[in-house]
Amino acid sequence: MHSQNPPMGVGDDVKLASQNAASGAQPHQQMDGAQAHEGETFAKLYAQLRPQCEALIAQYEEKRSALLPMMHLFQEHEGYVSHDAMRAAAEMLDLSPAVVESTVSFYTLFFRKPVGKYVLQVCRGLMCELRGAEEIHKYFREKLGVGHLETTDDGLFSYEEVECLAACDRATCMQVNLEFVYDLTPQMIDEMIDLMRAGTYKTKPMAQTAKPGRTWKVDQDLQVSRGGKAPGTLNSTRPNNAGGVGDSSGVIMLDRFVTNIGFSPARTHERTVRDARGVYELAEEGSNNNAGH
Amino acid sequence: MPVTKVLTEGIGEANLRDIDVYRQRGGYVQWERAVRELTPAQVMEAADKSGLRGRGGAGFPTGRKWGFLPNNGKPRYLVCNCDEAEPGTFKDHMLLEQTPHLVLEGILLGAYGIGCTHAYIYIRGEFKEGYEIFTKALADARAAGMFGKKLFGTDYSLEVTAHRGAGAYICGEETGLLNSLEGKRGEPRLKPPFPAIAGLYGMPTVVNNVETLAYLVPVLKNGAEWFSSVGTERSKGYKIVSVSGHVQKPGNYEMPLGTTVREIIEIAGGLLPGRKFAAVQPGGQSSACIFEEHLDYPYDYESMAKAGSMLGSGAFTVFDDSTDFVKAAFNSVRFYAHESCGQCTPCREGGHWLERVLHRFVEGRGLASDLEMIERVGTTITGLNLCALGDSIEPFLISVFRRFKPQFEARIQREEAVGV
Ligand SMILES: Cc1cc2nc3c(=O)[nH]c(=O)nc-3n(C[C@H](O)[C@H](O)[C@H](O)COP(=O)(O)O)c2cc1C
Ligand code: SF4
Ligand code: FES
Repeated sequence: MHSQNPPMGVGDDVKLASQNAASGAQPHQQMDGAQAHEGETFAKLYAQLRPQCEALIAQYEEKRSALLPMMHLFQEHEGYVSHDAMRAAAEMLDLSPAVVESTVSFYTLFFRKPVGKYVLQVCRGLMCELRGAEEIHKYFREKLGVGHLETTDDGLFSYEEVECLAACDRATCMQVNLEFVYDLTPQMIDEMIDLMRAGTYKTKPMAQTAKPGRTWKVDQDLQVSRGGKAPGTLNSTRPNNAGGVGDSSGVIMLDRFVTNIGFSPARTHERTVRDARGVYELAEEGSNNNAGH
Repeated sequence: MPVTKVLTEGIGEANLRDIDVYRQRGGYVQWERAVRELTPAQVMEAADKSGLRGRGGAGFPTGRKWGFLPNNGKPRYLVCNCDEAEPGTFKDHMLLEQTPHLVLEGILLGAYGIGCTHAYIYIRGEFKEGYEIFTKALADARAAGMFGKKLFGTDYSLEVTAHRGAGAYICGEETGLLNSLEGKRGEPRLKPPFPAIAGLYGMPTVVNNVETLAYLVPVLKNGAEWFSSVGTERSKGYKIVSVSGHVQKPGNYEMPLGTTVREIIEIAGGLLPGRKFAAVQPGGQSSACIFEEHLDYPYDYESMAKAGSMLGSGAFTVFDDSTDFVKAAFNSVRFYAHESCGQCTPCREGGHWLERVLHRFVEGRGLASDLEMIERVGTTITGLNLCALGDSIEPFLISVFRRFKPQFEARIQREEAVGV
């Protein structure tokens, strides 16, 4: 029935997607690895998923409630939530794309950039830590050569240390593409990674419609989650920010200082800071601790 | 040993995911009886008389909560809270995956009791497998005529929808949950109005935990007195306790409320060989630790409050003398800093700021001036926030900071911060 008289016809879908392709120069779509996939591919996917989306909408008294389930659905097929998908959801739910993106960005299980085929989410909760989670984290990081919130160069693995997974009696536990693995040991990790590399692991790999970048986090999330906001450092060439104010590169202190000596307010925050770094010969660019905490 | 099997009955022995197995064991009998023979008021009365208190964290009496719903003719909603993400809690996860029909029967009874025609269950995004198991249970139960239109030949119709979250602890808070269920950011709402007056879609709503609702089934089966005859004076009935940390057999154990702290540790196999007891966190990450002097306290809502902590969601974490409490405090604060939704300044800034200070301690670079400051700040965040997440940052930190101060002092590198 939806295909006869939908709020927006399949033809429109193509238009919608090709509009996106035409405006593909949007900066957020160019950021590392989040290449806009072909508009036509998305139009096809949209047409395919549309009946399921409508069934989801019908489950609720108000249609906006279907947003999360719809995003889960698109992510299942695309491997992440693309801007096309958010736009499509906005159309179907009569929301603005900005509202959809703001909502999607609230939830850590929605990846707004492509991820690896196996998303390894290892628990870092206190109860797992009491039973050796840190050793497991170290083992994973070394084995895969990645840090928290990073994807391997071959695009196979994305690694994240996550909060309590509600399986603390089976510490240390993790999820592989949201399927639980309990009572981890280094040997299990070796076996698991081998099988994944061979493509024979029991859990289905994530769909991958675009090449993942180094991380799937969007920039502003990173400062905090990757340890950029570490406490003031002692014994470092960087200015020591007393009492934990500011981040590990002393940005807030510098920022204040720079403002006082009257740099042009028209400059962006980041640029001001970079300039300030120049002034102080603090070649700390990119030195934020990728390992997170 | 006071381990009792009520909700956990049959788990690990029978395949309770199979609706036929569940029904052979007496499943859905109470539900059918309720719809055919009981009025909603009678179900509500049973919940009230049993003394059942909310198992999600706050321990609010369930019957009383239902009683707050106004009689204004508006549609009412029941929302079952299966967002379980309080570190240390893993009972709802087990119930959802191991005995989904019991969870559903509890929801059905709750819905009938409050007179609702569309109930929702909000399942944590990480429980993808649990969600699939529950969705299958829903389909089987619908096919068996357990819910849908005109149930058991009566005029009562009831719809149930399973909704999956997408990763955010704060969606366990009931108003954050409702926002998330409405397709919004899971940010808690300003209260009042409470959900009972204006909840889901602005209508009167009850949010109840999975375990709370599931207990309605045995309460109806055995009678309210059966439930209220166990437990302590104001903490009635049974509770699933999720024991984790430094014990030999971590796991879920169901027992009457009022079992002592010492007994619970023994039930979980006791401490690891050669270790000494240090502390217990009796109510999830949000609760303060209790210590040796509290080992003989009964595990119930009142006694835990008296010991300076709370029973919360029934997550019971044991720490032995090998624990690095500086790291533990850092881990706990980091959790709240990570999960803060950011609406309230004390919670958002306070959490991150404490995290950074504690990180410094973990690395052995603490400042002597921080000690006094933690003590001071550690009691100023609480009470200034929209929801209880902000109020949960401090209790664990402060309880272990006061008790194990030498561990913090040992990480001090110098007296004070040096200015820029
Ligand atoms: C930050 C926060 C997280 C919460 N998480 C949960 C949860 O995961 N599950 C739950 O049942 N209740 C949780 N609660 C408690 C709920 O707000 C609510 O009180 C509870 O679901 C009510 O159910 P009950 O009366 O059956 O206990 C949380 C509360 C807060 C403040
Ligand atoms: S207390 Fe924290 S989590 Fe709760 S509403 Fe405020 S900022 Fe959000
Ligand atoms: S702390 Fe790892 S599952 Fe709870």
